[in-house]
Amino acid sequence: MIEVKAVEKNYGSKKILKGVSFTANKGEITCLIGINGVGKTTILNAIMALTPINSGQILIGGEPIDKHTFEKITFIPDAITMLPHMTIAEAMEFMNDFYTGWNQRRATELLGFFRLNPSDKISSLSKGNTAKVNLLLGLALDVDYVLMDEPFSGIDMFSREEIANVFTSHLIENRGVILTTHEIGDIEHLIDKVVLLDDGMVTKEFNAEEVRETEGKSVIDVMREVYQR
Amino acid sequence: MKKYIKLLNFEFNRIAKLFVVLLGITFVTQIIGVIVVSKNYLNMANEQIYDERINKVQFLETYGQMSFLQVVRSLWFVGPIALCLAGVALYIFLIWYRDWVGKNTFIYRLLMLPTTRLNIFYAKITTIMIMTIGLVSFQLIFLPIEILVMNSMVPNEFRADLSVVEIVTSILELSIIIPGSVVELILFYGAGLLVVSILFTGILMERSFRWKGIFAGLIYSALAVVILISPLLLQEFVLNGYFYPSELLVLEIVMGLIVLGATIWMSGFLLRKKITV
Amino acid sequence: MKKYWKFAATIVVIVLSIGTYQVNSAKSAKQYPEFVIKTLSGDANEIKPLVLEGAYTDTTAMNYVNTNLKIASDGSTFTNRSFLNQVIGQPPTMIKELQEEYRTFMRGKTSQVSSFFEDNQILAYADIDFNMGSLRLRDFKFDISVLSKVDGHTESFTVEVPDSGELEDVYVEDIQMIEGELNLITQNIRENNDDFFDEKHIYTIDMANQKIINHEAIIKVPHGQDDKSFDVQLIRTSPKKANEHLIIVKTERKVIKDAESIREEVINQEILSYNLATKKKERITVPDLRLDENQLSFFDGSTIYFMTLDGVGQKLVVTPYSLADNQIESAFNLQLFGEKDIVYGQMTTVKDGKLYVASSQMTPKIKADVIVADARSGETLFKGQLALEGSPKEKANFELYINEMYVN
Repeated sequence: MIEVKAVEKNYGSKKILKGVSFTANKGEITCLIGINGVGKTTILNAIMALTPINSGQILIGGEPIDKHTFEKITFIPDAITMLPHMTIAEAMEFMNDFYTGWNQRRATELLGFFRLNPSDKISSLSKGNTAKVNLLLGLALDVDYVLMDEPFSGIDMFSREEIANVFTSHLIENRGVILTTHEIGDIEHLIDKVVLLDDGMVTKEFNAEEVRETEGKSVIDVMREVYQR
Repeated sequence: MKKYIKLLNFEFNRIAKLFVVLLGITFVTQIIGVIVVSKNYLNMANEQIYDERINKVQFLETYGQMSFLQVVRSLWFVGPIALCLAGVALYIFLIWYRDWVGKNTFIYRLLMLPTTRLNIFYAKITTIMIMTIGLVSFQLIFLPIEILVMNSMVPNEFRADLSVVEIVTSILELSIIIPGSVVELILFYGAGLLVVSILFTGILMERSFRWKGIFAGLIYSALAVVILISPLLLQEFVLNGYFYPSELLVLEIVMGLIVLGATIWMSGFLLRKKITV
Repeated sequence: MKKYWKFAATIVVIVLSIGTYQVNSAKSAKQYPEFVIKTLSGDANEIKPLVLEGAYTDTTAMNYVNTNLKIASDGSTFTNRSFLNQVIGQPPTMIKELQEEYRTFMRGKTSQVSSFFEDNQILAYADIDFNMGSLRLRDFKFDISVLSKVDGHTESFTVEVPDSGELEDVYVEDIQMIEGELNLITQNIRENNDDFFDEKHIYTIDMANQKIINHEAIIKVPHGQDDKSFDVQLIRTSPKKANEHLIIVKTERKVIKDAESIREEVINQEILSYNLATKKKERITVPDLRLDENQLSFFDGSTIYFMTLDGVGQKLVVTPYSLADNQIESAFNLQLFGEKDIVYGQMTTVKDGKLYVASSQMTPKIKADVIVADARSGETLFKGQLALEGSPKEKANFELYINEMYVN
């Protein structure tokens, strides 16, 4: 379980996060929803210790983050985290070099799934294919948790479909996923849990399935209620 | 340790191209320099001996023999060294900033590696050191080749032959970058390492706190320098030369180690707790 | 392993290249020539206590790098120009020996031999301390330390220089401890209504209450004038011995300006003896003595050895003068090589009745004398010259300068 507890974060005098708390479970897909600039990416960065927080606490599997945590959790930002002059094969080799949890079989599978050519240079790839490589590098790690920042933004329709398919496949199964998005449309049916963010705070945290069954509302219905109030 | 070696190799491969380019420029420019300087000398000799009707002995008495030092003192030789120096200086900053700047977010990857983040610091600083010592080492290999070129152009009797060691020790600047004893090598390059580590810490402060970090970095560097030279200041202004020079040297080494330790600790702290992508 | 090759190759190159250089550098350090004092006549045992210190430069390749060296009867030793040696510095031999023996006492003291006085009982030190004022130095103070060799006790104190405000600059030239009184002989530059004067001043300090009990100007001359110049010299003495007298030579010169040149001509030379105990001045008359500016003369406490080079530098003319008897003993000459191109002249010292002379410059073309003579009779006990051991390299060109002579 990833626990985010009362996290506050300032940029200068501006408060970005004003005490954000939520949890994300293993085996579930948790979606952070909010308009641009609400602090979604900051939360993911904070979980990965890529930016300091002013107060609060973040626990992963009950422990604060340290170097060993990076074998249990991975982060797929919205930009590629490899050097542009590397080929896909070299990027995979780099991952294999540094992570004991690198699963080359899964990586090969993903290459086929996304129809990527390992000898292509990352800088020569289209935006959609770059996003797929980024996803590949994250998902081929045997980790418990995967964080994804806007995996669908700015990507063509077909790539988006392919990526969405990944979420229903065994590639995601049993892992805890936190993803951020500002448009819920395409992926509503994939999500287990929703965390609605507004103005640096969590306005609502709910289970999508439950709400659908008990109240007969879709995620969008709930969002409409929350934001139009 | 294994991860450090891997990171170091990775960082080194990233600068390999620049390294080779600098070496290439140095070698080619210096060889041209050898040819130009030798030609100038020979032309002068020819002019004096054939046109002015001076005999060889008189010529040598007035103008002296040609030695490789004339090449070394020319811009052809010093220029590329200055370029390499500038390259290394620039790279001290580039080695960090290129991971943040532009569309590349490689720093995400580096910071998410399952190893202590100080290894990134160690790998980068070692890369700078290897690049510097590497350039010096290749210069030491170029020198005999360049001497050979000069020897093939200038006849024996017009030439004062010097060994590489003699050339290096004659030029103060060269004898600093290429020290003649292991002790000096360690002291000089240790001092270099210290300077780079202070700069790195400054850079990490900027990367952690941005604008405020620049000031913090400057204050930190100034503080480090003051602590480092505090024995010298005390000696000069308070103690009236109380310490013997050898004691002062030991004190300075101890101060250097303390500052180095503090700098590494500070960098580790920043990388763990304060760095922001 | 393939991706490690660039890194590995670079490391190999670094190790081999730097390693080779270090080995060559260590080897070349041993390639200095060996200088010896070659005996031409006399007893070689006479130079056993003599140490000459100086600097050697190999000028073959227009490569002007000095290396310090010492030459003694058993050959030469070079101090290599390593960083460590440069940091530690090269104080004069006497200072170095004092530093080794009295490490604590010697802390923070200048390396000026003239600031020290040593005998069997004490080691005394005095230096001048001042504040940098605007445009001039101010608040001169004597910084005094005296170590008792008997009980190891050190007494340190400062004394303000009297009339400090009238002084432009002060140098300590000599220290003498006479019967519990420390005498500091200084060269003072004094200003008086825009006129500047050089004076030899003596300050007597009572060690018991650490106060200046007496001070006076021994001699005072105006600073350079248009048509006249004055020169006041304190005759050198050994810092390892107390001397009751100071010997001062005052030379007055007329400046003659031609259309082409400016010459100086000695019009008067006076020799004074100053008794530190009685504070009495006395004039010494030595007929026909014309001392040059070379500071060759030496005073060993009882006898003054006036020394001067004859016009062409062929001879060193020595005139011993016994202070006790107030009379001149017979003068004698020492024959020198008399090299024409020599610039730096000779060095002299007297110890235990023996006069040591060494030429301060040597090149392949300039020969350098080393002479030991009986200081009274002038009998030459040893005559030799500096020489390169073995057959020197054909093209070798070098310069050797001796800047310190030391007799153990």
